[in-house]
Amino acid sequence: MRSDTMGTYRQQPGSKGSETRRDGKRVAGKQRFPPPGSGGSEPVMRPRDLDFIPETVGGREPKPAGDHIHDRDRTGTTVGKPMALVDSNAKVTGQAWYGDDVRLSGEIIGKILRSPHHYARIKSIDTTRVEALPGVLAVATGQDAPNRFGVLPVTKDEHAMAVDKVRHVGDLVACVAAVDEATAVHALSLFDIEWEMLEPVFDPKKGLEDHDEPIHWRGKYHLARTNVQKRVFQEFGDRSLVDSPHASSHGSWTMSGVHHGFTEPHAVVAHWDPNGRLQLYTPQQVPHYTHRALSTVLDVPMHQINVVRTFVGGGFGGKSDPFPHEMCAAILARKSGRPVRITFDREEVYWINRGRHPSHIDVKMTADDEGRISSFDIDALIDGGGFASFGHVTSYYNGVLATAPYELGSFHYTGARVWTNKPASGAMRGHGAVNTRCAVEVGLDEMAESMEVDPIDLRLANLLPPHSRTISGFRITSNGMREALERVREGSEWDQKFRQMPLGKGIGIGCGFFISGSGLPIHWDPKNFPHATVHIQVDMDGGVTVHTGAADIGQGSTTAVAQVVAEVLALPIEMIHVRSHESDTSPVDLGSYSSRVTFMNANAAIRAAIGIRDQILKAAWEMLGYHPNVLVLNDRRIYYKHDPAVSVSYLEALHKAQADTGALIARGAYRSPPMGGVHKGAAAGLAPAYSFSAYVAEVDVDVETGLVKCTNVWAAHDCGKALNPLAVKGQIIGSCHMGLGQVLSEKMVYGRTGHLQNANLLEYKIPSVHEMPHVEPIIVESSDPEGPFGAKEAGEGPLLPILPAVVNAVYDAIGVRLRDLPLTPDVVYNGIQKHMKANGIDDETDLNPPRLQHGSLQAPLVQRAAEHKDRDRLRQRSEDTSAYVNGVLFGFDPNRPLSEQLEGWREADEPLPEQLAELGFAGRAWLKKEQRQMEDDA
Amino acid sequence: MMLMPPFTLHHPQSVDEAVGLAGDLISKGEAFDWVAGGTDVLPNYKWHINPKPHVISLAAIPDAHSLSTCEIGCMVPLASLTESNGVHPLLVEAASKVASTLIRKSATVGGNLCLDTRCFWYNQGEDWRRSIDWCHKADCGTGADCRVIPNQNTLCVATYQGDMAPNFMVLEASVVLIGPAGERVLPLHEFYQLDGMKKNVLEPGEFLLKVVLPDDVMSREGRYQKLRVRDSWDFPEAGIAASWVPGRMETLMIASTALESIPRLHADVVGEHMVDSNTDLDVIALSKAIQKSVKPVNNTALPPRYRRSMVKTLTKRALKALLGGR
Repeated sequence: MRSDTMGTYRQQPGSKGSETRRDGKRVAGKQRFPPPGSGGSEPVMRPRDLDFIPETVGGREPKPAGDHIHDRDRTGTTVGKPMALVDSNAKVTGQAWYGDDVRLSGEIIGKILRSPHHYARIKSIDTTRVEALPGVLAVATGQDAPNRFGVLPVTKDEHAMAVDKVRHVGDLVACVAAVDEATAVHALSLFDIEWEMLEPVFDPKKGLEDHDEPIHWRGKYHLARTNVQKRVFQEFGDRSLVDSPHASSHGSWTMSGVHHGFTEPHAVVAHWDPNGRLQLYTPQQVPHYTHRALSTVLDVPMHQINVVRTFVGGGFGGKSDPFPHEMCAAILARKSGRPVRITFDREEVYWINRGRHPSHIDVKMTADDEGRISSFDIDALIDGGGFASFGHVTSYYNGVLATAPYELGSFHYTGARVWTNKPASGAMRGHGAVNTRCAVEVGLDEMAESMEVDPIDLRLANLLPPHSRTISGFRITSNGMREALERVREGSEWDQKFRQMPLGKGIGIGCGFFISGSGLPIHWDPKNFPHATVHIQVDMDGGVTVHTGAADIGQGSTTAVAQVVAEVLALPIEMIHVRSHESDTSPVDLGSYSSRVTFMNANAAIRAAIGIRDQILKAAWEMLGYHPNVLVLNDRRIYYKHDPAVSVSYLEALHKAQADTGALIARGAYRSPPMGGVHKGAAAGLAPAYSFSAYVAEVDVDVETGLVKCTNVWAAHDCGKALNPLAVKGQIIGSCHMGLGQVLSEKMVYGRTGHLQNANLLEYKIPSVHEMPHVEPIIVESSDPEGPFGAKEAGEGPLLPILPAVVNAVYDAIGVRLRDLPLTPDVVYNGIQKHMKANGIDDETDLNPPRLQHGSLQAPLVQRAAEHKDRDRLRQRSEDTSAYVNGVLFGFDPNRPLSEQLEGWREADEPLPEQLAELGFAGRAWLKKEQRQMEDDA
Repeated sequence: MMLMPPFTLHHPQSVDEAVGLAGDLISKGEAFDWVAGGTDVLPNYKWHINPKPHVISLAAIPDAHSLSTCEIGCMVPLASLTESNGVHPLLVEAASKVASTLIRKSATVGGNLCLDTRCFWYNQGEDWRRSIDWCHKADCGTGADCRVIPNQNTLCVATYQGDMAPNFMVLEASVVLIGPAGERVLPLHEFYQLDGMKKNVLEPGEFLLKVVLPDDVMSREGRYQKLRVRDSWDFPEAGIAASWVPGRMETLMIASTALESIPRLHADVVGEHMVDSNTDLDVIALSKAIQKSVKPVNNTALPPRYRRSMVKTLTKRALKALLGGR
């Protein structure tokens, strides 16, 4: 073997195993490393996989969007290849440790006393009887933790337990820890509490009115005495276009609240170790925020807290707030001196909620006689429940995430989020964008019908191109919207089916647009600290340990990080070990929300991996005499580009590099570039890249029962570059399932008494496998210039289009527009009956499904779409680098401020006095004044 | 709270032992429940819905496992109702629509017939029910009012949502009940009693041992229409079963479930619309009449008005499939 003569891979060269010295003493053999080039399970170096090396750097992988900054870092190892997630073995063998799997010696069980009242003031809590119960080791109430916390620094309105009043049934009142669960449960019945009942609010419309006792009080910023938590006004563009439209549509929607329905209920274990440091085990999407909130609530510096993220049994946004039960466990553990475990039952999961906001959404839109979209008018009143959570952001997202992918003549948005005495709404997959997107896409379908054009052609003729700016100032980079639309049109045989199928069978289109990572880190200025940091360490065994704070919640972020590191270093994936569970060892990371992880964390990981690679290549340069520019990395070997026989193994080069420094260390960070406008709220919805998607759905509607069955979905999603096509397809199919639940069966039902009536998985109707359609995932790769190897998000955006696609398909099937989600059979049936009555139809089978006769606008739109296709291709490949802002389609010069070019052009974040009278439901929040303004007036 | 409350589980080995055990507990004033597959009772216990200190399992009683065309023991799992076991095709169809594959392995025929009535004010956790100040059916000693129809404190209107009962009814099934007073046999439609709490005619210490079907049951043909949001897991929101001996209109039977506190055989309504075999049955009129005769309330997933409207459609579909071109 060559290794015997080279010898440099040995710890101590020259050894031949153990030997006996002349004096009779036996000395142990010196440990040998495996032969050079080893590592991984394959004994032989694999040939370079040119199919997965971009054509721009000599490979065979097509790059229709042109070259990418990371192309030269590709080694053909893992990127673009479908592979199982690296933690899948742990999951399928049951060895993954979720929140409730943590067992510490001496642990006791914590239980939470929950409010039986919607809204009440706690006059007194007497814990005497609880403390007297044998087996009870700690009791805590709101008085034990008066510091407030919340996921957003601007809206900290939560306590570990109610300090003054409870705000919904199920709100936390007190907690107790006991030797076993039965004792803890019994103890809950021994609290003596004196309540003062307050008048609850359930209807968000009532939340806009003044109330004797608003649910929270924001001091001088409080809006009169209402329950409005946040109001938003945004207006851009030329409002004169709205006055004489060629076509228009108007829809008022009621959307029920939905819950994430993740498999694993919340669970937490808290333990103060012998040194007095808190060790907190919790399935968190965003461990860093929990870390911060714990520090605030417990009055302990952050460095004395270690947050351990367990495996997360599904999150979808529902595990991204710091939670009061996490504080409770820590408080009980501190009081009792024992590890405390709290595990929720499903009812408690629904009470902590943070699901999608129940919403009233009003969307008006107009088009001009050239088929250009002259306005979007959106009004969104969203029901926040008892706490702020992410609601500040949701209030913006409901409007601003509708400013693309279409070019708009004007955009007008009023939004309000109100507190009600219900479990708090928060962030859920597709945060804030889903409901409005559905209303907008259905509105477009309706407007296309009145224009007598095909709704896909209407969209294709109004798309923003790659490398452009939306009307609200978002920077669009890569954009695969057009390709997505074209591919679902072709795949679904749209042109042969739309408006041509028999009664009860329908087909519909919907598009989506979503952020790929929020551009603003919530807790700091991106100029001062990066969004994501990754550390890599390589020791003499050649294994690569990656430290990251990215929280794998099942979406595969650990796999994505391992993949990009493996790709840069040309190592088999099993040589990459990602350590991401503990805040003690992980660099600060913002966690898994806003679809940021792959984009930001993988970018940081690539930079760190390049740092390691450069050290190894430098060593190889010294060994081979060739500059790194002409060295090739391939599967555990480094060789001279023009003579592969001149080579060293990865381990040989690694050991050379380590000679003077020991283990190699490198770090990489990611921060988003400066971007966006300067108006109030300009940062909301700002992202370094955006994903685009288009779905076509086919449905069967039983006209007699109203039952809707979605049978087929063609789902095209532009994820920039599929690092792992298997994971992307999984996200697309999973998104379809989740979105179908919201559009067809899932809803949080609040009965006439304001109680959540279906806090269990039998009555909260998540679709079963029988309801799942055939989904054809179509991956569109627009190669984002700033994404890791071109990648963008694929976790949230794919959810958006399924809702409008199904709603539009139902219309195609029965000719009835429905705007109450979910479309449960009773909603559809009632809609059909109403339609029949209005149109004098006696029998359901006599319903007339809609038909389309192309009007005079169809041909010009098709023509314009064809021209735009050429425009987009040139821009995507950076062959055309001219400026493009929303408005060019309307004849404006992109190089001059639009306000200079048109008198009526407006950018506003507050309504004009004359607008107040005509604002929608949410807009009425602007009729109220803040307390400080009222004081000024007085 | 999902902690199962403690109870003593008894395993009688014979009918006599079971009845004796029940008698003993009654004489000592101790409450108990019978359990077969446990898929209904035990989830309710976990929710602390009327748990009892004693539970008597019927699993070890040999007579409870009989399975043939004309006799089905209470312990027979729904998954065993197959045509290869000689079971009537209508029962096979109905059983295959109950809950999910997994649950049907444990859930039994007896348990399904004696299913506790359901209501969204009742099938909730203990904390939840405390927040509404309890309800009539599980009042925890408070004498609480009914939450579905307030200010009437006499009747529980929880809904019976079993799938098997209407199908057994239209196959003219009888049930064999055994208790301290001995054995009695009743037609299944007389087994139920219109009250969401009492539910059926079982006396204290009495249990349903088996279902008996007529010798000529195979001459009947039947259809079952079940309304539900999802094709798995969900209880029926409305269910209509119909059967007849092909060609003999006078044998037509229709029964409904999931619309009231009990499943019902609609013999009267069918009788009013009966025609001789040479005349076409007015399916629509009959379907409307069945719809008119049921009064669902607002305590399941779908609104009662809708469920009632669907009775017509389900009946029409069951009859059209059954009667074919007639």
